[in-house]
Amino acid sequence: MQLPPLARAHLGAEPTDLYLGPRRIAFFVPDLPARTPDEWVKGPPEALREKAAAGFARKHGVSADELTVRDGFLGVEVPGKDLRSVLPDALAALVRGLTFAKAMRWPGVDFRFPRPVRWLLAKLDGETVGVSLAGVPSGGVSYGRRFDDGAIEIPSAQAYVDALREHGVDPDRATRMMHISAGLDALGAWSDPGHVLDEVVYLVESPRVQAGEFHEKYLQLPNRVVVTTMQSHQRYFPLAGNRFAFVANGGDPDVVRAGNERVLRGRLEDAAFTFERDVSVGIDELAGRLGSITFFADAGSYGDKTERVARLVDRLGGGDASREAARLAKADQASELVREFPELEGHIGAEYARLAGYPEAVCAGIEEQYLPESAHGPLPQTETGRILAAADRIDTLNVAFELGHQPTGSRDPFGLRRAAIGLCRLATEGGLRLPLSLLGEDVRDFVEERYENLLDVPVEYVRAARRARADDLGRVAEIARTLATLDRANLERIHTVFTRAQNITAKADGIGEALRTELLVEEAEREVATTLDEVSAALEGAEAVEAQVHAADRLAEPLERFFQDVLVMADDRDIRANRLRLLRDVRDTIEASLGDLSQIPL
Amino acid sequence: MRPRNYQEMLAALQQFWSDYGCVILTPYHTEVAAGTMNPATFLRCLGAAPWKTYYLEPSIRPMDGRYGENPFRFQQFLQGQAILKPAPDDILDVYFESLAALGIDLAKHDLRLVEDDWEQPTLGAWGLGWEVWLDGMEITQWTYFQQLGGFEVEVVPAEITYGLDRLSMFLFDKESVLDVEWAPGVIWGDVYRENERQFSAYNFEAAPTDVLTRRFTEYEQEAADLLERALLLPAYDQVLKANHAFNLLDARGALSVTERAAYIARVRTLARRVAEAYVGEEREAA
Repeated sequence: MQLPPLARAHLGAEPTDLYLGPRRIAFFVPDLPARTPDEWVKGPPEALREKAAAGFARKHGVSADELTVRDGFLGVEVPGKDLRSVLPDALAALVRGLTFAKAMRWPGVDFRFPRPVRWLLAKLDGETVGVSLAGVPSGGVSYGRRFDDGAIEIPSAQAYVDALREHGVDPDRATRMMHISAGLDALGAWSDPGHVLDEVVYLVESPRVQAGEFHEKYLQLPNRVVVTTMQSHQRYFPLAGNRFAFVANGGDPDVVRAGNERVLRGRLEDAAFTFERDVSVGIDELAGRLGSITFFADAGSYGDKTERVARLVDRLGGGDASREAARLAKADQASELVREFPELEGHIGAEYARLAGYPEAVCAGIEEQYLPESAHGPLPQTETGRILAAADRIDTLNVAFELGHQPTGSRDPFGLRRAAIGLCRLATEGGLRLPLSLLGEDVRDFVEERYENLLDVPVEYVRAARRARADDLGRVAEIARTLATLDRANLERIHTVFTRAQNITAKADGIGEALRTELLVEEAEREVATTLDEVSAALEGAEAVEAQVHAADRLAEPLERFFQDVLVMADDRDIRANRLRLLRDVRDTIEASLGDLSQIPL
Repeated sequence: MRPRNYQEMLAALQQFWSDYGCVILTPYHTEVAAGTMNPATFLRCLGAAPWKTYYLEPSIRPMDGRYGENPFRFQQFLQGQAILKPAPDDILDVYFESLAALGIDLAKHDLRLVEDDWEQPTLGAWGLGWEVWLDGMEITQWTYFQQLGGFEVEVVPAEITYGLDRLSMFLFDKESVLDVEWAPGVIWGDVYRENERQFSAYNFEAAPTDVLTRRFTEYEQEAADLLERALLLPAYDQVLKANHAFNLLDARGALSVTERAAYIARVRTLARRVAEAYVGEEREAA
């Protein structure tokens, strides 16, 4: 965070403890030096002594004779000051040095902060230190619970935390977290799928974990709806059955529980109402309304998207269940529940499909279409889910790129990187055959590039593999992996074949257009040509990359003999052209299957 | 005395702010989506002149209509709007006193401030503030405006917006606003349920989109003409009418994402021009 370097700069030491809460930011710095360091302040160059020395000396309250010389510059020794005398300004400068994404002004105070600063407290051991910050009240007191206590005297810096704790306030995030977790554990099994705990720990300073109940009838709602309703706005924690946990910050426990239960009842009633309305419309009708819901600007409606995804599902080899799932996949975008809780998309669509009687395979597909949700999260379990997840991502990527929304280094508002990573994982881990012809040209490059971070191989192997003429996405990964795990000798052999052939032909002029067998006069070059034919056929016939490597390997010896016995740059122009052609063919044939091996540094 | 019903709650809060020294105003005569859009807030918070006011504002958000069948959502709901400009140092404490004036014993309840920053793209406005939660229920939106109509505010005000319907649920222990007693023998539903039903039907089904589209352009044109004639207050009325027309078109589902963004930009441009005119006039007068 920002405080350590600021503390070092303004105070000469770094904090050991940081306290953050909804009402205060505090830090503790041990072992501050009692005096600031002596300083030698640099002045004008010695060469300018006549002109500049007097003014500089005067500015620092000394005579020109008292200046000393270092490294060709005049300067003055400024002794360190007592810490007490510099702290008011140093602390003010430190606070001013904090920067925030959003800060505000407020009347009477001339600096910006995320919210109005109402008091400042600074203690140097037992001594109160005033902070001169733009008129904000500064002293030796803090404030605890709003409605129970007034000002709290802080006897010393060391006693800060204890003094606050005695008044029921804990400024330390870690302690609050422990307390809250323990409180939740004591209530039984609890969950936090929405990850609200990290926020809740900063919403309270006097945490008290409590449990409440809601009417069992709401358990008839899909579990996700109940959980989302609880967590999304209210930041509650689901317990088993019709119980929930919340963290209070004060008040009478019974009164507070009753209030929270009432709020939750209202929200569950709202969710149930919305859910009922969606169900009475039904998923088929919802799907029919997608024509009027925009996918995103200039990209047509969700109805259009559905049609495109359905076509992609076909080309990915999806069966009836996948096609049906594609037709219904986005229907819940027209639902009121998703409008209210976007995070329910997919899940609630699956539920509506179930209630309409669609087979489980279709529903599972709808539910799983947004997986994986993160770079390491689980993939869809069903084939329908995988095909749909892939089709959806392919479409989004193609459309976004076509509209010019390629992600830049820092901006990726449509989550295209995540989508591309998902595609890569679906191809490798998910075993889905993803024809690269389905991706736009730019999209293909972008997606393949994700493998550089995703695969556990050095990036050069991915870069090499990307140059192969792979048909499907998973192949690129397979090539990269196979090359990376080849035994060294094997790799070196085919690497040599490739790079030798490449290097000679790279800069040469006059490469023949096509190989002319009648010009192959030497035994060695005929052997290369024959072997190349066999290897070519073998490469095409081979399924596994490993088999292709073995095939390519057969060129090693013939090529070795070729370079020994044959002069590529023959005097005869036609023969030279033909030999270059032969080598170029060797190179291109290998690249088509195994990629640009010259990318691999050996 | 602790209010016993909805209208006593309204009276108690108004009395509190009147005692504090606020100018008690009436709701505006044109549809607004929030008390913030009332010129008593939007315009008065520009410029350097101090200002303290409190007023009720029936706020109209066509999208939120649920035909009076939902206990929680209405296309018209009541806000209590307080503006304190400049924001006093102890303004939070004053707000807590206003809750005490409603009979709320804050030591008994869990009151907390939850970070929430406010933004209104049609007005070119934003501010930083909180939701105020009472035992888990949001009862007030609190904002320190930083920018209005594209202008940085000269004097930072505190805007306190009470969600009066929510507050009434809290005060009178009801699960639905519809059940809150408005006056002896009359509940909120008696007053407004039919209103909700008919206006939801209007907003979602009956509002004529082609007429609204035409009207938007007419309001826009009239606003521009009035600004030329230095009649910025009537011009601002046209901006509000245009904004409401846009909200209706949105509720009817007549706008694509691109169109929505375009309409918002048009309203924002008008709001900006009104703000500019207001600040300019204030400067000249000074």
